[in-house]
Amino acid sequence: MNLTLKIWRQENARAKGRFETYKVENISPDCSFLEMLDILNEQLVDKLSHPVCFDNDCREGICGMCGLYINGRPHGPDDGVTTCQLHMRRFKDGDTIVIEPWRARPFPVIRDLVVDRTAFDKIIQEGGYVSVTTGGVPDGNAIPIPKKNADEAMDAAACIGCGACVAACKNASAMLFVSAKVSQLALLPQGRPEAARRVQAMVAKMDELGFGNCTNTYACEAECPKQIKRSNIARMNREFLCAKVCSEE
Amino acid sequence: MVTLNSKIPQGPLSEKWTKYKADQKLVNPANKRKLDVIVVGTGLAGASAAASLGALGFNVKIFCISDSPRRAHSIAAQGGVNAAKNYPNDGDSIGRLFYDTIKGGDYRAREANVYRLAEVSNNIIDQCVAQGVPFARDYAGMLDNRSFGGAQVSRTFYAKGQTGQQLLLGAYSALSKEIKAGTVKMYERKEMMDVVLVDGKARGIITRDLQTGKLERWFGHAVVVATGGYGNVYFLSTNAMNSNGSAAWQCYKKGACFANPCYVQIHPTCIPVHGDYQSKLTLMSESLRNDGRIWVPKNIEDSVAIREGRLKPTDIAEENRDYYLERRYPAFGNLVPRDIASRAAKERCDAGYGVGTGQAVYLDFSSAIKRLGKDKVEARYGNLFQMYEKITAQNPYETPMMIYPAVHYTMGGLWVDYELQTTVEGLFAAGEANFSDHGANRLGASALMQGLADGYFVLPYTIQNYLSSEIYSQPIPTTVPEFDAAEKAVAEKIEKLMSIKGTKSVDTFQKELGHIMWNKVGMGRTAQGLQEAIPMLKALKEDFWANVRITGDTNSMNPELEKALRLSDHIELAQLMAKDALHREESCGGHFREEHQTEEGEAKRNDEQFMYVAAWEYQGEGVEPQLHKEELNYEFIKVQQRNYK
Amino acid sequence: MSLVKLASITKKMTIASVGAFLLVFLPMHMGLNLCILREDGGEWYRNVCHFMGTNWIVKIMEVVLMLSVLVHVVVAILLTIENKKARPVGYAVPSKSKTHAGSKWMIYTGVIVLVFLIIHFINFYFVKFGIVVADDSDTYTVEVEDIQKHLNDKVTELQEQMMNGTLSQEQAQEQMMALQLEYMPFLQIAQTGQPSDKISKDGEELINLSKEELKQFVGEDFTEYEPDFYTMCKKLFANPTYSIIYLFALVILGIHLFHAINSIFQTFGLNHRKYNKAIEYLAAGYALIIPLGFAIVPLFVMFCK
Repeated sequence: MNLTLKIWRQENARAKGRFETYKVENISPDCSFLEMLDILNEQLVDKLSHPVCFDNDCREGICGMCGLYINGRPHGPDDGVTTCQLHMRRFKDGDTIVIEPWRARPFPVIRDLVVDRTAFDKIIQEGGYVSVTTGGVPDGNAIPIPKKNADEAMDAAACIGCGACVAACKNASAMLFVSAKVSQLALLPQGRPEAARRVQAMVAKMDELGFGNCTNTYACEAECPKQIKRSNIARMNREFLCAKVCSEE
Repeated sequence: MVTLNSKIPQGPLSEKWTKYKADQKLVNPANKRKLDVIVVGTGLAGASAAASLGALGFNVKIFCISDSPRRAHSIAAQGGVNAAKNYPNDGDSIGRLFYDTIKGGDYRAREANVYRLAEVSNNIIDQCVAQGVPFARDYAGMLDNRSFGGAQVSRTFYAKGQTGQQLLLGAYSALSKEIKAGTVKMYERKEMMDVVLVDGKARGIITRDLQTGKLERWFGHAVVVATGGYGNVYFLSTNAMNSNGSAAWQCYKKGACFANPCYVQIHPTCIPVHGDYQSKLTLMSESLRNDGRIWVPKNIEDSVAIREGRLKPTDIAEENRDYYLERRYPAFGNLVPRDIASRAAKERCDAGYGVGTGQAVYLDFSSAIKRLGKDKVEARYGNLFQMYEKITAQNPYETPMMIYPAVHYTMGGLWVDYELQTTVEGLFAAGEANFSDHGANRLGASALMQGLADGYFVLPYTIQNYLSSEIYSQPIPTTVPEFDAAEKAVAEKIEKLMSIKGTKSVDTFQKELGHIMWNKVGMGRTAQGLQEAIPMLKALKEDFWANVRITGDTNSMNPELEKALRLSDHIELAQLMAKDALHREESCGGHFREEHQTEEGEAKRNDEQFMYVAAWEYQGEGVEPQLHKEELNYEFIKVQQRNYK
Repeated sequence: MSLVKLASITKKMTIASVGAFLLVFLPMHMGLNLCILREDGGEWYRNVCHFMGTNWIVKIMEVVLMLSVLVHVVVAILLTIENKKARPVGYAVPSKSKTHAGSKWMIYTGVIVLVFLIIHFINFYFVKFGIVVADDSDTYTVEVEDIQKHLNDKVTELQEQMMNGTLSQEQAQEQMMALQLEYMPFLQIAQTGQPSDKISKDGEELINLSKEELKQFVGEDFTEYEPDFYTMCKKLFANPTYSIIYLFALVILGIHLFHAINSIFQTFGLNHRKYNKAIEYLAAGYALIIPLGFAIVPLFVMFCK
C-alpha cells in the first residue's frame, strides 16, 4: 500500500505547529498503524530529520499510552480499539490519512503528536481511590459483592486513561473518564464510605483543570477503546446530586 | 569485591518471615519524616512500594518513564494472580503454593524467599479487594478462581482478562492517595540514567527529563529500583516498547551483582511473527490453555500442505492431529508450565510440523465450543478472541488460533538478599527487576503476586532494617562531587552517541541484536551457538558505537536518543546473558541447553555443579565480569526432576 | 474554564431542570392552540385566551416561565462559551464520531427556537401586553361594561361641564345625543349581536371591535385592550411564509426536544437498564407529538379553511 500522511508537527508546547505531508510506500496491510509510523520514522532518520514523536508503549491496547486523532476519529476508524490495535488493512491503497494530536486545553501538546495527560492523574489524586493503607484489611471474602456489581465495576474499571473520550467530545469533557472511576468505586462496598466526598472532589478538580462540560453527546462512548458505557456518567450524576443534596461533606 | 550474604533468617521455613519481622529494626514515625526514599519505576512493585512507604511516613520520590504510572507494563498481565487462599477447598495451602513455585522454578529459587512469597500471597488478595479491585465473583458474591499452568489447584484470582491492569490500577490508586497526602512526590516522563554512590552507599540517582532532555539529580537515603525486566533485549517480545533493562544495568555497573541473566521465560501462547516490520509480539493469555487444545498435524505432508495453503486446519481429521502436549504430559496436558509448553512447540516446528509460516502451532477451541457452547467460551475468552481477530483478521471461533512462543519475562535480575537489598548498600530491587523468587522459570500468575508482595509486604519492612541506621545521616546536597561525576558521565555518553552521526538507525541495531539473541540465546541454546553469539555481540557493540545515526537534538523529546541509550545498555546486557548461558552447563527452566536433555527431550539439570545462583559482578569496561555463586540449600524440599507427566 | 463558580454538573442540572419545566408548559400551550380547531366561531379559543390573559395564577406562571427561558438560555450560552474554551485549538478534520441524534446541534437548534420564540412573542405574546400593536385590520375584545363605562364617563364629563357653565345646556344635550348615537350600535350588538361578535363568559359581556372603532371610544389607550387572538391567529397562519417558518421551527424544536428529554434523564442519573429503552421511546414520542400538535393549527388554517 502507498499512503499519503498529513501529520501535525510541533516542536514544543510553545511552538506554532503545522501539518507536514509525507509519503510511505509498500506498507503491508498486516502492519499495525504504529508500525507504519515506525517505518515513516525510519525514513525520516534516513533523511536526517527529526522523527515524528508519538506516545506508545504496550502496543496491545491496554496501557492507554497511544492515542492519535486519525481522519476525524480518536484511535481511527475502528470501534473499540486503540491506535496500536488498528491495522493498515483498514485503509485503502492511495488513501490520505490525517493524523492529529488530542486537542483539549488540559492536554497541551508536548511535541508533535504527544500530549500531556497528567490532568487525568490529578483528577484521580483527588479521590479516585479507597483510602486504605497497606495491611490491616479484612479477608477478601469478608464482604460478599453481588456478581452483577462486581462485573459492572469491572467494566467501568477497564478504562485505560487514554483520553480518547476527551479528544472525541466536542466540549473536551472528561466526564466518561471521571465517571468510570467514580462508578467503579460507587458500585463496590469498599468504595461507599467515601463516595460522597469522592464524587464532589473529582468533579471539582475536573472543572478546575479546564475540561469542558458534558452535553450528553456520547461521542466519548462511541470512541472509547474499552467501550466504557455512558451509564457511568449517569451514575456519577446521580452520585453527585445525592452528595450535594444529602451529604454533609 | 563483594561477598554474597543472603541474610536468610534462621529457624524453620514457616517461621522465618515472622521471626524476621519480630527481630528487625524499625524507624520511629518522627524519623521516618526525615528519610528520603527514591523509587524508580511505577509498575506493581514500584507503585505499591512507594504507596506503602509513603503511608508509613517516609518521604518518597517516585520516577516514572511514562506520563502516568498506569502505563507500566504490569498493566498487560492478563490471566491472574496466585494466592494460597484455598477458597475452592481443593487442597491448596501456603506449603503447596511454595512447593509449586519452587518446582515450577526448576529448583533454582531461594526457599526462604519463595515461602515468604506464598505466605504473603493471601494478604495481597485482601489488600486488593479493600482497594476496590473488581475481582471476578461468583453468584454468592465470593471471589472466583481459575486454574493456571503448573498447578493442580485453582488458586488464580482474576479480573476478566485484565488482572494486571486492575492490580496496577489498585496500586496506582494507593499511590495517588499518597501523592495527594504529600508523602509521595511523583516525577513523570523522567528516566533514570545512573545511580549515585556516596561512600559506597546508594544516595541518589541522575534522571533525564524526556520532555526537555535536562539531566537532573535526586537525593535519597535509599534507592529502590523497580524497573521491570529486560526482555526487550530480544527486540521482539511481549514487553512494552518502553520496557528496558537500562536502570538495572546502571546498578550493575555501579557494583550491584546481576543474577542469572540467562533465565528468560518464553511464553508459549503468543501470536506468531508475521513480518519484519513487526515491533512487538502480543501475548494471548495462558488461561486459554484451560480450554484450548494445542496441536499440529500428525503427518508432515499435512503440515506442508497447510503452509502452502492447500489445506485448512479444519480439513485435518481428528485422528490426524497430534495433541502433543496431551500425548507427552498426560497428567498436566495442555497446562504444563510455560517453558515446557514453549519447548514442545519449538520441537514440533523444528521437526517440520509447524503451520502458518512454519513457526506456529494450533490452539484449538472447537472441542471446548462443542462441550461448553459458544456462549460460554465467549464469556470466558471473548475479549481475547476479539483481540486475536483484530490482529490476525481470523476468527478463532471458526478456525484454530495460531500461536508460537515469544520472550515474555526475565527471571534473572539484580541479585538481592532476603531484604531485597542488592550488593550495593542502600540499593534495593523489587519486582521483575530482581532475580529472587522464580528460579529458572516463573509460573503463570506469579509475576503479579511477586511484584505486589515485594512492594506491599516485603520492602516496607526490610528497607527499615537498613534505614534505621540512616536516621543520623543528613540529606546529602546534590552538589557533592559524586553527583557531579555521575551527571557528567551521563552527559558525555549522550554527547558521544549524538556525535557518531553514523549511517544505521537505532532500530536496525535493535533488530540485529534481537536476531542474534533469539537465534543463539533463545529457547534452545547450544555451546556452539553461544560461543558464536559472544563475538557477534561484541562486534555489534563496536558497530553500534561507530555507526549509529541519531537524528534530532538532545534538549527536547527525542525517542531515537532514548532508544539508543537503552540499546547501548541492552547490547552489554546481552553479552552477559550469553556468557551466563554458556557457563551454565545444564538445562533448567527457561534455560535449555540442547546438550543437556534427557532421552525424551526434557530439561536435564546438573544439581551437583549448578545448584547455585550465578551473580555477576562488573569489573570495568572491557574486563570480564566476576562470577559469584550463592549456593542454594534445599532444607525443606526434596529436589527432584520436574515431572509433569 | 469555569465562568461561574458552579460545578459543571450543577450547571448541567440547572439547564436540565428548567428545561424539564419548559417541557411541562408545551403540552398546555398545545392544548390551547388546538381549541382553535373547534367549529364554534372561536368561542372556546377566545375564552381560553381571555383566561390566559387575565388569570392571576397564569400571570405568576408567566413570570416563572420567562425566568426559566432566561436561565435556560443564559446557562446554555455560558456552557457553550466554556466548552469552546476547553478546546482552544480545534481539529483540522471535522469529527466523524457517532453522537446521539441532535445532541451536537443543541445550541444551534436552541438558537433557532429562541429566534422563533422572539418572532412568536412579537406576533402574539407582546400584542397582549400592548408592547406590539397589531395591524389595522385586527380586532380587539372589549367588555361591554367597559364601553358602557366609557359612555358613562363621557356623559358625566358633559354634565360637569354643563354644571360649571362651560357648556350651555343645549350644547351638552346635543353632544350627549350624539354620544348615544355613536355608542348605540355597539351596545346593541352587545345585547342582541351575533355569536361571532359577542362572547359571553362567566356573566361577562364581551364584544369584538376593530381597532378604529376601539380608538374612537378610548383614544390611544386602545393597546390596553385584549386583541382578538382568534382572528389574528387565523390571519397569520393564512400567510404561507409565516406558516412555513412556523413549521420549520417546529421541526427544529422536535430535534431539540428529542435530545433534551433523553438528556434530562441522563443528567439526573435516572437511568436503568430496564427502562432506558422506555426513556428513548418517551423522548421520541414527546418530540414527535408536541411539534405535530402545534403543526396541526397552521396546516388546518392553510389547507382546510
